[in-house]
Amino acid sequence: MDFAWTDQETAFRARLRALLADTLPDDWERFSQHGPASPALTRYAETFCGTLAEQGLLIPHWPVALGGQGLDPWHQTILAEEMWIAGEPRGGQYMNVNWIGPTLIRYGSPDQQARYLPPIGEGKALWCQGFSEPGSGSDLASLRTRAERDGDFYHVTGQKIWTSYAGLADTCFLVCRTSDDRKRGISILLVPMDTPGITVRQIPSLIGEGDIHEVFFDDVTVPVTARLGDEGQAWEIIGYSLTNERLGIPRYALARAALDRAVAVLKEQGGFDSEAVRIEAAHAAALTEAARMASYAIVDRRAKGEAIGAESSSARFATVMAERRVCEFIVEYLPEALADAHPYLKMHHQRGIVAGIAAGAAEIQLNIIATDVLKLPREPR
Amino acid sequence: MDLSLTDDQVAILDAIDTLTRPYAGASLHEAGFALPDAQLDRELAEGGFLDIGFDPDLGAVSAALVVERLARLPQTVEAAASALIRPLLGDDLPRPLCMVEEGRTTRPIRFLREGGTVLIVGRSGVSTFTATAEQVRPEPEALFGYPMATLLAVPADRISHAVSVEDILTRWRIALAAEAAGLLAAALDSTVAHVTDRQQFGRPLATFQALRHRLAEAQVRANGVRWLALKAAATLDPGDAALAALHAQESARATVYDFHQFFGAMGVTLEHPLHLWTYRLKALISDLGGRGGQGLAAAEALWK
Ligand SMILES: Cc1cc2nc3c(=O)[nH]c(=O)nc-3n(C[C@H](O)[C@H](O)[C@H](O)COP(=O)(O)OP(=O)(O)OC[C@H]3O[C@@H](n4cnc5c(N)ncnc54)[C@H](O)[C@@H]3O)c2cc1C
Repeated sequence: MDFAWTDQETAFRARLRALLADTLPDDWERFSQHGPASPALTRYAETFCGTLAEQGLLIPHWPVALGGQGLDPWHQTILAEEMWIAGEPRGGQYMNVNWIGPTLIRYGSPDQQARYLPPIGEGKALWCQGFSEPGSGSDLASLRTRAERDGDFYHVTGQKIWTSYAGLADTCFLVCRTSDDRKRGISILLVPMDTPGITVRQIPSLIGEGDIHEVFFDDVTVPVTARLGDEGQAWEIIGYSLTNERLGIPRYALARAALDRAVAVLKEQGGFDSEAVRIEAAHAAALTEAARMASYAIVDRRAKGEAIGAESSSARFATVMAERRVCEFIVEYLPEALADAHPYLKMHHQRGIVAGIAAGAAEIQLNIIATDVLKLPREPR
Repeated sequence: MDLSLTDDQVAILDAIDTLTRPYAGASLHEAGFALPDAQLDRELAEGGFLDIGFDPDLGAVSAALVVERLARLPQTVEAAASALIRPLLGDDLPRPLCMVEEGRTTRPIRFLREGGTVLIVGRSGVSTFTATAEQVRPEPEALFGYPMATLLAVPADRISHAVSVEDILTRWRIALAAEAAGLLAAALDSTVAHVTDRQQFGRPLATFQALRHRLAEAQVRANGVRWLALKAAATLDPGDAALAALHAQESARATVYDFHQFFGAMGVTLEHPLHLWTYRLKALISDLGGRGGQGLAAAEALWK
């Protein structure tokens, strides 16, 4: 067992930090309070991702043949950590490079790859993911948005909700129903957002403007060639996408960075002399580091090409525990951070509430741990 | 980073499993509060398993893995201090090695007995002495899963060791976390087996989500404690060690009553061995000032 970073990994992190320091505008911390999906940040992300692309840092974990450098999951983790700690200046594009691109690489037709991969690699694309519906959140397989086949076309009718980036996205990774079979009746369509019949409505939220939306599909015509994989293959494809995104966002890293920042502020004010405050800060740090190590254990297995499964849910839940404890620490001991005194901490707090909900809610992670890690018999349905 | 066990570590743990297999399967019916086992202790010592931390090639991570693995046994062996702290002091000190904080010498002490080594650590440094019968009062009725005794007198004449207090405390915290990781894992396994087996309302208890989720949270905690302990053993960093021990004590606090709860009345008998793990966890909770002590130590190390 070796818990040290290699020289190459350390240099990679240093390079990212230097690039962020050189590239981000002076008022970045205030600016980053615009959520990752806000118009302001989305516009900025185009410039920033262009810079990353020029430096070979946008898709370094992609295969060399597709413009990447074939870097391993440890480098991908370092990249994700540094970007998220910085407030995710890639905006919604992190999703493209993390799993939409890799999924297209695996399942896309040559035409789809030729059309969609280059803009992702150049930092010019913005996708949204149309999974959740008003009646289908955690129970995704119950989704009802319907794609009726008519010759070479589908006619799509239905509604998606909580869709991040939808207001500005150019393409939707749309999951919809092509037959009544619960899981094998679901297919994926790659739908340009300017297709007639699509209406997007923004939903005001606690996490910054522009983040979540409703998307209505009213008899939207989509060519069959826009289908990713076979009809009914969506469940398998989503499973593959998840292997690229099992751990989700490395929230433990920003949580720890926010905690360190909060402590620094408290020390300046003299508020860190209190034993109660020091002990609570330590509890929060223990949780961020436990989540970090649980996540690294998964990355290690990925880096070795081993199958990873339910253990990633354990790392996910550990991250939720950490995120909450840090948010609670700041609310209790540095409330001015939620006003305007410390933009970095406000940014963290805005985003922290999402940890236990998006991309697989906390109780769903616990269900997975119970069944697949602890091997408890299943609940009756 | 490479988080797999090395070939040496796999071999060591395999050898421990082979050695302890007869013990793991022993009948535990009405075991009493603690289950010390002199023969197991002897076999482990003779096999060199408690000296692994002396070998610089194997080091503290391997020692922590040994401690974690042994803690899963229903029997209790003084492994943690011997494997992780003794390497700073020398292998000539008689075992068991009993850890005592200066200023808290009147507390019940794990494994304390005549002929064992008592280590006192605190403001005045690090010192040891070999306990005599007159200095020791056994506490056979103590509600802990370790053999406990009270130290009646601290002799003035002790061997002082040229080792830093901080290094001893760091390794104590790592030892505590590694042991807690094994205890948490074993208590969780035992509880999982029970709720899978036990039926009420026509179905296994394990199918009730109220229990499933709390057990899943316990899994998250046990996993976190294990990784923090191993990482701290690798870095020997005071901050890492304090976080590991803090997470261990907090996780023990958060899970022990749930484990008993899910056994119902069975969990308050001595017929089931659950207490052999949980009542050891309870003993670890008070080490080094408890969670507050670990929290302050972590804050000091992390943020000065
Ligand atoms: C900021 C944000 C961005 C998002 N972006 C997108 C996006 O871009 N695209 C998209 O498709 N979706 C998106 N989502 C939606 C997200 O995927 C869903 O919120 C998530 O799947 C949970 O579904 P839900 O909100 O309907 O909650 P529900 O499924 O209604 O769950 C509510 C609560 O009930 C619990 N619960 C549900 N089922 C069970 C069960 N079986 N056992 C125990 N407890 C249960 C949940 O854990 C949760 O605590 C986003 C959400 C957020 C917050």
